[in-house]
Formats: sequence, C-alpha cells, structure tokens
Amino acid sequence: MALTITCPVCGKRNGYEFKYGGEEKGPRPEEKDLDPRAWCDYVHMNKCVAGVQEEWWFHKDGCGSWFTILRDTTTNLEIEKKEAQNDEQV
Amino acid sequence: MMNRFNHLPTLKIDAARKIGFIYKNKKYYGVQGDTVATALYANGIRIFARSLKYHRPRGLYSLDGECSNTCMEVDNIPNVRCENTQLKEGMVIKEQNVKGSAQNDMMSFIDKMDWMMPAGFYYNTMHKPAKIWPIAMKQIRKAAGLGTLSPDFEMPGSYDEIFPNTDVCVIGGGPSGMMAAIAAAKKDLRVILMESRPSLGGFFEYRKNFHNRSLELAKEVNALENIRVFTHTSMVGAYNNNLITGFQIGKPSDVFDQRYIEIRAKSVVVATGCIERPLIFDHNEKPGVMQIGCALRLANTYGLLPGKKAVFSIGHDLGLEAALELHNLGLKIELIADIREDGQDPALLQKIEEKNIPLLKGWVACRANGRKQVKSVEVSGIDGLISKTIACDLIVASAGMTPVTGPVTIALGKLKYDAHTGFFMADKLPEKMHVTGRLLGLDDPRSIETSGTLAGLQAALDCENCSIKEIGDVKKELENLPGPTRGTKLVTAPVKGRKSFICFDEDTTIKNIKQAIEKGFDVPELIKRFTSAGTGPGQGGIPGHNLPLYVAKYQALPDISIKPTTTRPPLVPTLLSTYAGTNHIMLKTTPMDKMQREDGGIFRNIGVWQRARYFSGDFTCEKEIKNIRSNVGMLDASTLGKFRIHGPDALKALQRVFVSDMSKVQHGRMKYSAMCNDDGCVIDDGVITKLRRNDYYFTTSTGRAGQTVEWLRYHTRYDKWDFHVVNLTDAMGVINLSGPNSRKTLEKIVDIDISNEAFGFSEYKEFTIKECIPVKAMRLGFVGELSYELHVPSSYMQSVWLMLKEAGSKFNIQNFGVEAQNVLRMEKCHIILGQESEQRTNLLDVGLGFLWDRSKSDAKTIGAVALAQAESDKTRLKLVGFKMENNTRAPHDGSLIVDEKVRGYVCTARDSFSLKEAVGMALVEGPLSKIGTRLEIFEDECGDDRIYGKIVAMPFYDPEGSRMKM
Amino acid sequence: MNKTQRVSPVVLKGTPAKTKNINNWEIVMEYEGEGDGPYLIDLTHKQRFDLQDSNLAGQNPFQMTIPEMPGNSLLDKGILINRMNNTQASIYNFGETAVAMPDDSGFTDVTEATLFVALVGKNIFSICEKLTTLDFMDPEKKAPFLFQGPFSHVPCQIVTLSKDIDNPGLVITCSRGYGRDMIHAVLGAGKEFGLKPAGEEKFNDFIKNL
Repeated sequence: MALTITCPVCGKRNGYEFKYGGEEKGPRPEEKDLDPRAWCDYVHMNKCVAGVQEEWWFHKDGCGSWFTILRDTTTNLEIEKKEAQNDEQV
Repeated sequence: MMNRFNHLPTLKIDAARKIGFIYKNKKYYGVQGDTVATALYANGIRIFARSLKYHRPRGLYSLDGECSNTCMEVDNIPNVRCENTQLKEGMVIKEQNVKGSAQNDMMSFIDKMDWMMPAGFYYNTMHKPAKIWPIAMKQIRKAAGLGTLSPDFEMPGSYDEIFPNTDVCVIGGGPSGMMAAIAAAKKDLRVILMESRPSLGGFFEYRKNFHNRSLELAKEVNALENIRVFTHTSMVGAYNNNLITGFQIGKPSDVFDQRYIEIRAKSVVVATGCIERPLIFDHNEKPGVMQIGCALRLANTYGLLPGKKAVFSIGHDLGLEAALELHNLGLKIELIADIREDGQDPALLQKIEEKNIPLLKGWVACRANGRKQVKSVEVSGIDGLISKTIACDLIVASAGMTPVTGPVTIALGKLKYDAHTGFFMADKLPEKMHVTGRLLGLDDPRSIETSGTLAGLQAALDCENCSIKEIGDVKKELENLPGPTRGTKLVTAPVKGRKSFICFDEDTTIKNIKQAIEKGFDVPELIKRFTSAGTGPGQGGIPGHNLPLYVAKYQALPDISIKPTTTRPPLVPTLLSTYAGTNHIMLKTTPMDKMQREDGGIFRNIGVWQRARYFSGDFTCEKEIKNIRSNVGMLDASTLGKFRIHGPDALKALQRVFVSDMSKVQHGRMKYSAMCNDDGCVIDDGVITKLRRNDYYFTTSTGRAGQTVEWLRYHTRYDKWDFHVVNLTDAMGVINLSGPNSRKTLEKIVDIDISNEAFGFSEYKEFTIKECIPVKAMRLGFVGELSYELHVPSSYMQSVWLMLKEAGSKFNIQNFGVEAQNVLRMEKCHIILGQESEQRTNLLDVGLGFLWDRSKSDAKTIGAVALAQAESDKTRLKLVGFKMENNTRAPHDGSLIVDEKVRGYVCTARDSFSLKEAVGMALVEGPLSKIGTRLEIFEDECGDDRIYGKIVAMPFYDPEGSRMKM
Repeated sequence: MNKTQRVSPVVLKGTPAKTKNINNWEIVMEYEGEGDGPYLIDLTHKQRFDLQDSNLAGQNPFQMTIPEMPGNSLLDKGILINRMNNTQASIYNFGETAVAMPDDSGFTDVTEATLFVALVGKNIFSICEKLTTLDFMDPEKKAPFLFQGPFSHVPCQIVTLSKDIDNPGLVITCSRGYGRDMIHAVLGAGKEFGLKPAGEEKFNDFIKNL
C-alpha cells in the first residue's frame, strides 16, 4: 500500500489513504433469467492478471470517491491513465 | 584512561569535558563526543562481548555497527549497538550472553566444540527423538543468543514520528550526497539529506587531506534553506513510489530518543558509499583485528591510538593512506601486507618508502594469534607458499571496498557483478532513483563530487526542474575525470577456514559454507538459510559481499553470475518502539462520556467507540435489567449510525441497499429493514423514515456506520444516480429512554402530546425542547418495553440527559449499559448483527426473510439473487431460541452445539432475571431447529461434561409485544 | 431546573480569562497566559454547512461563487466555502453572528457533526508533519486550500487559511466523537513547539490579519 494512488478529486496521495474495491467487472447483470453460476462468477471470480489491470479504489480517508485506476500488479505501481478513461468517479 | 590526541582538526570530541558512566558496576569516564564503544576502548576495554554460538571474545571491528560484536545492554535495553550510540552521563552498560564476564566467560569452552556443530547442525540432529526437544532447546537457549528481555520489560524513552514530503531525498551525507543535495536545491527543489553518522562528511570527514573539503560542503548545504538535513538518521526501508523510511537518534536537546521518519520523495539519490569488505583468515574476528576505517576513525575522530604495534593487511589505497596517517600519530607499523601485486597509488608508495614502513605486495594475513586478544599475526603470500609471524597488538585488515547497495535492493533495483571493480553494482534501478559516488566504483574525490552533482540534476529532472543539456554537460565533465578503479577480488587468505569467520553475528565459518555447498546448496540465498550467515543483527553487513564471491569461487563458476542474497528492511536494527512512534490511540467518545463515567460507568472499547458497558461491578446487570422491566432507565445509544439521504435518486439508492420495498417508507413512521451483501448475508439493520420528498433519515448499526456511505456509493457506482448522503452519526446523541415509566418521564420535558394515541408504537415525531433543542423521536422497542429513542443535537445531549434525569427522579431513573441492553433484547429475541450472525449468516437464517421484498428485481437489490438461491438450501443454519434444563446455567456465548459432530453454536445466552430461566439464541442445523429438540452443548474447557437445553418458541419475553406498544 | 447549555467535544486545559455566552455556548475568548503561539483554538460553536447538489454551479450561497476546482477554497467576509468534489462543498461561518442556512434541500447543518479547531502561529506545519503525510508545504498549493485526508489517522477536512510565515493558520474538522483523542494527539505533537490553548480572540485576530 506504499504506492501512490491518483484520486480524481484529491490528486496523487499516499496509498494508505485508500481501500481496494476489486477488479473492474462492469455493472451488475440483469436479474431476470440470471444463471446462478453466472451470478456467482460475477461476484467472486477474478482475473488476477499478472500485469496491468483496471481496478476500483475508495478514497477512505479523503473525499470518499470510488474510482478506477490502472495498476501493474507485478510492480504494484499505478500506471497513468488516458484522460478519456478518467470520468468513472462517483 | 588512554591519552587522547587533542590537536587534530578532524576530532569530534572535546577531551576536556568528561562524561561519567557505569560499566560492570564500576565508574568510568569518557569524553564529550564519544560513542559508548570508543569510551570503553579509551578505558582499555578490548573484549566487548562474546559471540552468539561459540562464545568467542569480540571487540571493535568496523565502528559503524555492521556486526553484533559490540552489542551490549545499555540502560537496561539489550542489543544496543555501542558503536552507533553516543555516550551520555550516567549510562549503565553491561555485557550480554556471558557467564561470568566477557573477559572470562565460562562458556568459552564451546569454541573448542565447533567440530560437533557443522553447518545445519540443528536441522540434522534436532528432530529425533522428539522427547529430547524441550530439554535440548532449554540448554541451547541458555548458551546461545544475544541480550535477554524479561516478559514484563517496558521500553524506556520517548519515541516520535514525522512524515515529511520532499522533492528529492538524498540518502548519505558524504561528498557525493552533499553535492547531489546542493545541485537539486539550487534548482529550487525541496531536498532532504539523511546521514547515518552524527555529522555530515562521510568518507571525507575523518581523512586529514579531505576534512576541510567536507566542512566546506557541509557549510554550503547548511546555507541552503531548502535542504533539510537529518543527521544520525539511518535509512531502514524503501517502498513503492519512493517512500523512504528511517529513524533519527535524538540529540540531548531533542524531545525524543528516537524518531521514526517516513519520507515521500519524488526522486531519490542513493549516496551511501562503501564499507569495507572483511578479509577472511583464521581468527579474523579476534579483538585486535579491525578494519581500516575503524582504526583511522578511532584516531582522527576520537583521538585514540588504536594500538601500539600494528600489521596492516589491506587491499585498497585507503589502507596505505591510513597506515601513513597512523604512523605519523605514533603507531608503530611492523608491516603492510598488500593483497595487490600492483596498482597502488605511486605517491602513497613513495611516502611509505620515505617513512621506512615495510611493505609486501601480494601478501596477506592468514592467522591472528593470541588467546583472547591479538598477540601476533602470521602473514603469507597469497599463494600460501611462504609465511612469517610478526608480534603485534593490532591487525588492520580489510580485503577491499564494498558498496552499500541495501537501499537499491530493498527498492527492488537489480544488482549485477562488475568484474572491473569487483562490486555488485546497481544494474536496473527503480523509477526515479539514482546512485552516485563510490556506489559507482569511483574513488577519485573529484569524480565522486561530480557524480553527486550529476545525480542531483537527474533527480531535478525527475521533478521537471532541470534541462537535459545541463545534465549532458555534467556527464561530459564526469567522463573526463578518472573512472572506477580496479578492485580486489580476494576473499580469504590461503587457510582451511575452520576458524575463519565469514559472518560474525552467527559464528559462520568458511568451513560451514563449504559444508553447505557439499550438501548440495548451490546459491547464496539457500546457503544463507542453511548456515544462517547474514541473518544476524548486522543485516548482512559483514558477509553480504563475501558470501556470493566465495560461493562462486568455491564452485569454480566460470563467471560470477551468482547473485548476492536479498536485503530486506529494516536495513539496520530498528527498535519496535521506534516503529510504533507516538502510537496515538484514536477512539470515539459519545457526548455522554464524561457524565456516564461520573455515574460509575465501566467502559469498553467497541469498534471505534468507547461505550459504557456496565454501571456496577455486578456484570450480570441484575439491578439495571430489573429497573427497565419495572421502572425506567436511560441508555446512551449515540454510537448508532445516522444518515440523511437526499436528491432525486435517493429512493433508488435505498432500494438498492435495503432488502425491503423502500417506496413504502412513509412520513411520520419508522420502517425496520436490513442490508445484505451480494451473498445474501446480512450485514446491517436499521430504521428509515421519510422526512420529505426525496429526503430520508435512516439509522445503521454502530459497527457499520463507518462503511455506510462507502457501501452506498460502491453499489451505485455505475448508475450515475443523483443522490447525496450526509453522515450525521456524530451530529446527534441518542438517548434510549425505556421502561414502563418512560412516558411519564418524557412528558415532563416536552410540550407535545405523547400519549399512545398521539405518538404510537413505530411512529416518528420531530419536536423542540425548550424552544431551542430540536429532537427527532422514535417509538421503538428494542428492549421490549415502552421506549423512546431521542435523537438530540450532540452539544445539547448533556442538557437533555440531565432534564430527563430530573424528570425521572421521582421514579428513581437509572442508567443502563450495553450489557443490560444485550440481555433485555435477547429476552425479546431481537437480534444484534455480529452476535446472532457471522460472516456466512444470511437474512433467511436469522428469520428476517419477511423483510425481503421479491417484487423489486429492477432495483437490483444487493443480496436478492443470492437469497433466491439460498431459499431452497436445506443445509443452512437456523436461528433458534432455547431454554436450559438447569435454570441458572446459561452456556457461554460461542459454546458449541454438538452430537457426534458440531451442529451449531450459541450466539447469546444469559440467566434471565425477567424470566427466571436460562435462555439464549443459537444458530443450529435445520433438522435440530424444531421446537422441543434437545440440544447438547459443549462449553470451552468442559472436557467430557455437557450441558443441555431445548428449543423453545421465540421471543421468550412478552410474546404478544404488548409491553412495547403500551 | 438545569441550565440549557451546549457542550463542545473539545476540552482544553487552561484558565479562561474572558468568556462570552452566545446561543447557549460558553465560549472562551481568552485564556490566561496564552503565550506567543502556536495556538490551538476551539471553534466548534461556529456554524458549518454541508452543501450537496449535482448542479453546484447553480448555487451561490451567501452571494458567493463556489470555487470550481475541488480542493480550492474561498474566504469572504467571514464565510469560507470549500469545494470538496463535483457535487459537494462545505461552508464554515467564522463570523461572530449566526447566519441562516439557505433554504434549499441541498444544505445540511453539520455544525453538530464535527469538532472544529484552529491551529494558528509559528511551527504549525511542523506540528502537522508529525500527524499526517499530507503535504501542506507543496508550493503548488496556494492558501486558502482544502485537504480531505487523514490527520492522526482520522479522516479530516483541513483548510489552510494562510501559509504566510508571519501569520500561518489552518482549521481542522473531523468527526465529533474523536474530540478527546484528537486534541490529545495535537497537543502532544505540538508540545515541543510550545502549542497552547487559546481563546477565540486569537483566531479573530488571525483572520483580521489575513
């Protein structure tokens, strides 16, 4: 967690201020005709990429935003994102 | 006490100012500026400690704390590195790991038994028979080890912490580090310069010819306002994105003994320079053998002549320079044995000749003689063909230089062997980290300084404050200066190695390394584990370089592709107290904290809060409970989570997180509901009311309040809904006024009608007390009695509490605490999440399935999919109520429900005063959940005894619920 | 009957020399022997509002324009507005008299939700450095500016009002419940710099000198 993380609101901060929120998997699937297995996969299955992955972080000690960053899991460093991808904050 | 030089410009002592200390119950004196080690040396102490395993005598070796030779107990703190600890008035210093004294250690016979203890001795012998283990372990622990601590030891001293931010962090305050700091600072950047010794100067500071230059540089550093200098500060860790940690040792004027420092830097310059690579020969760690820097600094920094007659066995020009300086100070030098056949600085050679100091090239020390201290040395040609013995009391021995690469490797930089210098040098550096000075193999002072400037500018470029051209110019300048010098590669003198130590801390010999290799361990990392070389307090400072070199040579590897062992933080031994720092305990208190303490409240930490759990020493809370059932009491429930949610999409957000249909929440009424996670497991419950259109107020459990906003936002993160949440948890104190007399009490302080007709059960009202205190009031019945939950602005909480106390004085109103509430609600079978549930318990298991509305699949309610799947699952546990066969024998919370297997567990159970029975709730397997089933209960540590209960209907108390609705 | 009295979560040791009673708050205006700084001043009685609206540009509370960039603050006639994120701003009233909260559903009075203290005077940023990794001395941060971040491990809003070497000052808010331990931590960190409790007048002087 010693890495720095760029919060879209507060800027680059100490990683200890943030909480991990899992891999980016897209929105919740529609419930109608949802196969139990598909649901379980959505909730619990992860890609666990050795390399760059998009993932959610929460600025717990700061502004309280949820947002995604790209992180290289092999170096545990944030990778700079293209501006276009940067509007996912809520 | 030895005489001190007092004329040398390099001295860091004030010989006129005496400092008294106690060593082995006797008073001694050192001088201002001494370390504990030099003060002892000045008093003729040569044996500081005994070694870990063989109890061999040990003394000064490097003077920088790279081995445990000089670890002693100082002011009751064991394992203090005396070479790095400044002497203070009144210090009490003791030896450790000795039976008797370091001078005469009764355990020293073990040294002769080394043949019994080859590498991997413990692994090979200590597994069979198992019975011997405890006995053997006890004996080994008695004989081996370093300092000891008693279990009730409390660490003295004060520990501080700081978290500075900087542009450039320079590690090492020698010439290149100072130059780097200056270069970066001149680019208007914020710079931090860390130096592990008490003053700046590094490799220049203690040498006659360079001392002035080091002062000049230090002056320039200190004149620059944007350089923060931390002296006596060791770096211990490097983490992602240049997070550098270290600790500073306080000066007498500082408010701390040690201070943990955590620096976030944009760019880092590593300028840690070199230490000496130990020369390995027989008895190479006997007191009287020391490194060049140690001998030279004893004289030049501390004014102490290290010995009387010396033999030098060296492999670097620094050895020649030191020999000359020490010769001029009066040390008789019998011989300089230089490992190198050629390549020495001609100017130094000429001076040595002028002084008639005998010099043998291609020679090396191969054995130190003397029982406890050096009496003579056997030197030989490096091929071992010829040898001679020379009487002396000092052997200055060093194989060459080795760069301090720890900061690079812990930052995950890669090292590569360089055949020219013989160094493991930084090959791949982490982003925004630069190395400089002697780490690059440079030896020429001008090259070292220029490389520092270059690194400083490169760091400035990382901060976008320097031009590429400027860097190019300095690079060119550096190219025209002398480059890295050729280094020696010899590791060990031509000896068998039974008493040649590669690691002092762990008593590992060359012979042990050979044994490990012969057993098939081929890489240093494994050999390190098997022989424990480099695992001691010195953190590999002694064997770090020699081990991989030796392993490569002994296996006759064609090239030294072999890697040094991994260095990990902390780079130098660090006190746990230092890591702990100030250790602020941050807990929340309610607005009633002070008054409840005055009323005799006994507090417990519950999550982030401190809450009053009991109001008497009777932890069954009999009086508190009976008072609620028959009279009236007050509980401070301020820790409840409280939230306002507003905005056009507020209802959508509520529908997402609460399992009930939230569109049915009405103004003026409370609705109870629950939140689940995606597995349908129940995580929170609370009540909701509607304040106005698109505006709701809701409560959560104490434990979840901190995560509620996070939860809401996480589960709506893709929806772009327009809603806003305000955390009002701390804004309002909550008074739970409960008991049959609670209406009569409340009536006295409010001016609205609160009769059952006007303010009925499960209703919500807002009113004002005394025209200035706005109150949100709810009629709930958690404890099963007539009850009002009053949400009061925190600042007015004490006033309202006192009003109620006065209003209720006629009924003798009493406080009740969290435990009384726990029993009261258990009698009523109202659940507390976390007590009647754990991680895997879902909404249906605890009997709250009725809260779940199945008709709102469009809302994508969290947990709904999983609940639908779990409905048909027969294997799940069910929450049941039970009554014990013995009326006064409730099982402990958490006891197991068993038959031949574990079938469930007790959530909460108490001897109920209201019911005069022992009752409780448990989670049990489905087949056991039928009313009337007998439960067999296993309590912790009850052996073969069991206690029994049977399943009964819930709730136990007032099943019709008339009391809370009265 | 008991007196109706409001109580601050901040308890400072010191002998009040001058007090004032406003709106049921007993406010210490000055302590005896306050020294020459740095000072810790309780401002918990000052009004604080939370404003959340998806269209913040359409809001101009107290006739002020909300700063556009999160982290930026604006201080005018005793009212401080801090932009928190795209949809949220916090408003502090430093004035001596209470103001009416604007009649708009986006506002919530959060005066009671937090404790509110000021650190004023020399070395305050050295004190902060002992409690947080936040970089107050970042040259790119121009006062007044807002930090939302940890202070002594607790999430806080910290507004630096002045980095001026002669008159530095900042205000901190965090959950009210942390009052006791936060004050303990701040005073502990400030001990070596002579941090002392001071009355509200010291804060008013500081604001005047901005």
